[in-house]
Amino acid sequence: MQTAENNKREGDRRAGKGARITTFLTEGGGFLLIMLLPALLVLGFVIGLPMLKALALSLDSINFRRPAAAGTFGLHNYEKLIFDAQVWNAVWRSALYMGGTVIGSIVLALSAALLTRRIVHFRALARLTFLIPWTVPAVVTALVWGVMYEGNFGVINRLIEPLPFINGTDWLINRETALPALILAQVWNEFPVAYIFFLAGLHSIPEELYEAARIDRASAFNQFRYITLPQLSSITAVIVILLMIMGFKSFPIIFILTGGGPAGATETMTVLTYNTAFRKLDFSYAATLGILAVFISLAMVLVYLRVMKRAERGAGGAV
Amino acid sequence: MARPVGNSIGGEIMHVCALVLLGILVLFPVYWMAVIALTPTGFSRSLAGIVPERITFENFVMLFSERPMLRWIGNSIFVAATSSFLSLAFGASCGYVLSRIKFRGSGLVLILVLATQMMPATSIVVPLYILFRDFGLLDTMQGMVLGHISLVAPLAIWMSKGFFDSIPADLEGAARIDGCSRLSAYWHVTLPLALPGLAAIFIYGFVTSWHDFLFAKTLINSQSLWTAATGISSFRGEYFTLHELQMAAALVFALPVIIVFLIMQRRIVSGALAGSVR
Repeated sequence: MQTAENNKREGDRRAGKGARITTFLTEGGGFLLIMLLPALLVLGFVIGLPMLKALALSLDSINFRRPAAAGTFGLHNYEKLIFDAQVWNAVWRSALYMGGTVIGSIVLALSAALLTRRIVHFRALARLTFLIPWTVPAVVTALVWGVMYEGNFGVINRLIEPLPFINGTDWLINRETALPALILAQVWNEFPVAYIFFLAGLHSIPEELYEAARIDRASAFNQFRYITLPQLSSITAVIVILLMIMGFKSFPIIFILTGGGPAGATETMTVLTYNTAFRKLDFSYAATLGILAVFISLAMVLVYLRVMKRAERGAGGAV
Repeated sequence: MARPVGNSIGGEIMHVCALVLLGILVLFPVYWMAVIALTPTGFSRSLAGIVPERITFENFVMLFSERPMLRWIGNSIFVAATSSFLSLAFGASCGYVLSRIKFRGSGLVLILVLATQMMPATSIVVPLYILFRDFGLLDTMQGMVLGHISLVAPLAIWMSKGFFDSIPADLEGAARIDGCSRLSAYWHVTLPLALPGLAAIFIYGFVTSWHDFLFAKTLINSQSLWTAATGISSFRGEYFTLHELQMAAALVFALPVIIVFLIMQRRIVSGALAGSVR
């Protein structure tokens, strides 16, 4: 116990030296080791090793359709990637998908947050309503929207039938409507995340600002324009990047509803990676695409961290 | 309490109408899922009204009697419980260290944890598939659990760091003065205090794993090892899609999560803000 006392005071360096094994393990550097080691081992196995494997795969030519090519090492997959229009189209489609979900989710979430913000009755119920879609698994979201989008008897076509100017179609098979249809399903599933953030952001706006505005007889629109919007700007930046990342990651909704079709019209990076591996069985090229995706998401994470930091400073820890 | 922006009665009514309308729109897909699930088999095509004329539970009975639904749910529960428990067990200690001790590279570890949580799972699943093929882990429950740990563990670490940040370090300090080692201070003082937070993380991990489709689809082949997510998605287009059955299954799959969420709403929302991610 005496040694433990000393170690505690004198820091990590000494712990390894004179201390007995037990104190080594419960203090200082040894403590760090036993606390971190299990996590590092497991993460090393389930994430580190696969990432290394991805790197190795991307330099190889593992293709289950052409087993003979295996063992050809080089940068050929990366060369192919640079000139592969299909890949850059997929990146572009991912960007469209991200952009669509971000805009859709923000409009929906902000409207919902503004509407539920100050209601007095049924407040909890109102909030719950807008959080429910978030609890629905993406698989189920895909299935439900698939049923609703059906061309022949889907409820969406039936609902718009009486409306002028809009014609029913087979939403997921029509090249023009497929991607927007997927985006709508994604927005429905994930806008609650933005909603939570917006609620938190709205509550951090000082009430005095609105009182002052009311005294000046500012209209509701001007209050929104000159108080609410500017005060929400930093939190909106966080939401935008978070939604972008979520949109970029999205897989089940696209995969189940269209699988990338019709004729590649909805093939995003995630779906292209999956199809390259498990349909074309070209694992090396799929790994290369996976690495490209990692770099893209890493860039977004770094931006996210930076914006988050600024938002925390701006909102005074409301997030 | 301040009134909504417009103070007039008219403004009030419009506000409430807009709220109700938006609420109905948002909940419609869930309602529609229930309507189709309760429609007699083979009738969804001729369904005329938005309000069902006749409801039945035969789809649910069929689901459990003619499909291995119970088995799939059992698999889902097993995989989700095991992977989130394991992730929590080592994720908490890692999160604790990241919250309390600044060591060389701790910032980098945090960024890596966040980055793995935010990158598309398709990037991991391709090399994992090849690795598992070599290790003989494809199409096994162990492989599935490991795959889900790669999904849940970063989340557990990141979120538990957040929870430990909110527990004052003074309490451990006091225990240390009384002669506790760091490890026993962690074990006997901090961990019990963090229990509610850890429970929330467990539920989060459970839901994440429960929701997973990609790993379940790629790492598992045998129908007897399918999780509910793969089982349910397989109803689509075998010969033609049995919408009533599929929606019943979707409801069975989504309902537990919705119920847990309703019960633990507050905690889950604050957890989401702390972890900033699903």
